[in-house]
Amino acid sequence: MIQFITAILTALTTGAIYALMSTALVLVWRSTRIINFAQAGQAVLSTYIGYEVTIRSGSFWVGVISAMIFGALLGAAIDRFFMRPIFKRIQSGPILMIAPVVATLGLLGIIQAVIGFRWGLTYQSLAAPVSTDGFTLFGRVIAFSPFNLLVLVFATVSMLLLTVLFQKTNVGLALRASAHSPEIAKLSGIKVDFIRTLGWSLAGAAGGLAGMLYIPSSYLYPNAMDVLLVFGFVAAVIGGLDSLFGAVAGAMILGFAISFATSYVSEKLVFPMAFVMLVVVLLIKPAGLFSGKKSRRD
Amino acid sequence: MIKLSPTKKRTLFFVALGWALLLIGDRIGELLQYQGSFVAMYALAIASIILLTGYSGQLSLGHSALMAVGAYAGALSINNLNLHPAIALVIATFVAGIFGLILGFGVARLSGPYLAGTTLALAVSLPTLANQFPILGGEQGVVFDVGAPPARFGEDFSMYKWFFWISTLAVLIMLWLISNVVSSRYGRTFRAIRDNETAAALSGLNTGRLKVLAFAISSGMAGLAGGLLVMLISGVSPSAFPLSLSFSLLTGAVVTGVYSLKGVMLGGLVLVAIPEIADSIVTRIGGSEGFTATLPGFLVSALLILAVLFTPNGPGTLLHSFKKHN
Repeated sequence: MIQFITAILTALTTGAIYALMSTALVLVWRSTRIINFAQAGQAVLSTYIGYEVTIRSGSFWVGVISAMIFGALLGAAIDRFFMRPIFKRIQSGPILMIAPVVATLGLLGIIQAVIGFRWGLTYQSLAAPVSTDGFTLFGRVIAFSPFNLLVLVFATVSMLLLTVLFQKTNVGLALRASAHSPEIAKLSGIKVDFIRTLGWSLAGAAGGLAGMLYIPSSYLYPNAMDVLLVFGFVAAVIGGLDSLFGAVAGAMILGFAISFATSYVSEKLVFPMAFVMLVVVLLIKPAGLFSGKKSRRD
Repeated sequence: MIKLSPTKKRTLFFVALGWALLLIGDRIGELLQYQGSFVAMYALAIASIILLTGYSGQLSLGHSALMAVGAYAGALSINNLNLHPAIALVIATFVAGIFGLILGFGVARLSGPYLAGTTLALAVSLPTLANQFPILGGEQGVVFDVGAPPARFGEDFSMYKWFFWISTLAVLIMLWLISNVVSSRYGRTFRAIRDNETAAALSGLNTGRLKVLAFAISSGMAGLAGGLLVMLISGVSPSAFPLSLSFSLLTGAVVTGVYSLKGVMLGGLVLVAIPEIADSIVTRIGGSEGFTATLPGFLVSALLILAVLFTPNGPGTLLHSFKKHN
């Protein structure tokens, strides 16, 4: 019973962090139609900034806010000064097919190298603001701590805020319209380029938050978020790359699958489970479980 | 003047190249022989990416994992089955090829970013399996020992020269086979699918099956390269196949020009040269430990971006446009 409860709570916590990462990927996919592999680098760089601010100011919360603001600015800058010039340059030719992937991968490498230049490759630890010792349940310590609870609350609140932004505001309408059909959105007077950059900065902020919530349970080093990039991608594909709800649902499905596989079968099943889930979804329902669109040819 | 068919010309070219490399191998020092073996191995791995990306229009970030499959298959067949190293390398090729075939049924039909992401997940998840099975030796890995060079080559035939011979020979044979494949009917159909999948399907090509086939051939090439890589570092472990290896191969392919196999040696040279260049920069200007460790990665990534921006179709196009300007 304890094992079962722990598995559920772990699933929710890991799922919440995957959800932030998959949301970041989906936001960029919706605005630009590319999978942003540099997201891992953006998120980890934002976390380094958050880490520095936390140490200087002594407050984790100031650190979280700085990481999110920095992540948003970095995302906007990357779209404006990196992705857009590249796409302006490469408009035709067979390279067009691989250019987006190659460009974001190259950017990932550069960001991680720059982190290495500045902070080195050593593992840093970021202290959590609340205890990371597990709660006691029926006289036993379980693998769910006050910090995990905090992660869950933060992720849920940010998802709710994002939902409100998308469903209840004009900016959200513009975001949805530009994702659905950029040409028509442009005709209706929406500044599609601005909206696209906004998508990148929202994604950057989500990545920064994901990093600040994930790193206290792990360590901070340049490649710390690579793993989350993979899980975020798997979650986004499970949910259908176009749907924000799908990104969260996919992350939860993945979180539950991994948590139950690791707690009931073997600790080592984390990656194989994620890969199997990815391939199964792609084989059975390649458009994702929650995608409104019929095909994903574009 | 004798007229030769293109196939015979190609064969002659490879024989001549092999001969030249044999002569060169006799005249260079051990370090250059060792580095030359790496150049050949990288050239083959880059060729496997080019076949997949440039000729059949698929993008893989999982070739480091496919190399690992070949490497483990080769190591196990030497250690546990006592097979001859040459047979072990053939087994490495075929096991990786079959693995790629099975994988290809799942993923080769995916389009661009989906395939990239799925193979990325493979590259991250597969090496962790090494800890699952005791036979794979966990983090330490298993040794890969091709044995000393045969006695008939003489006393002063060094291990490095032996490495150089094995890798250049294996790579030349494989590249010869592949260059024949890409100039055959299959190569044309691969390119047709790359350029316009719908049109290719309308012309009666089974595009799904051909994509899987291209994926399997590319995997086999990567498997052989993986076997050669672990021969050169005398052991196979998960850490020999990091994700950054896949990125480096992609960089090599883009620098070479993904639409032609002709420049793969250049790509291999670049990948071997980058750590050396980074080393010399560090000795010249100094720098922290982090700087030293991450400079090669920085150079690889910067090169990748620059190559995509300025020579998207390979250095050949640059030369071409240069000629036009003058």
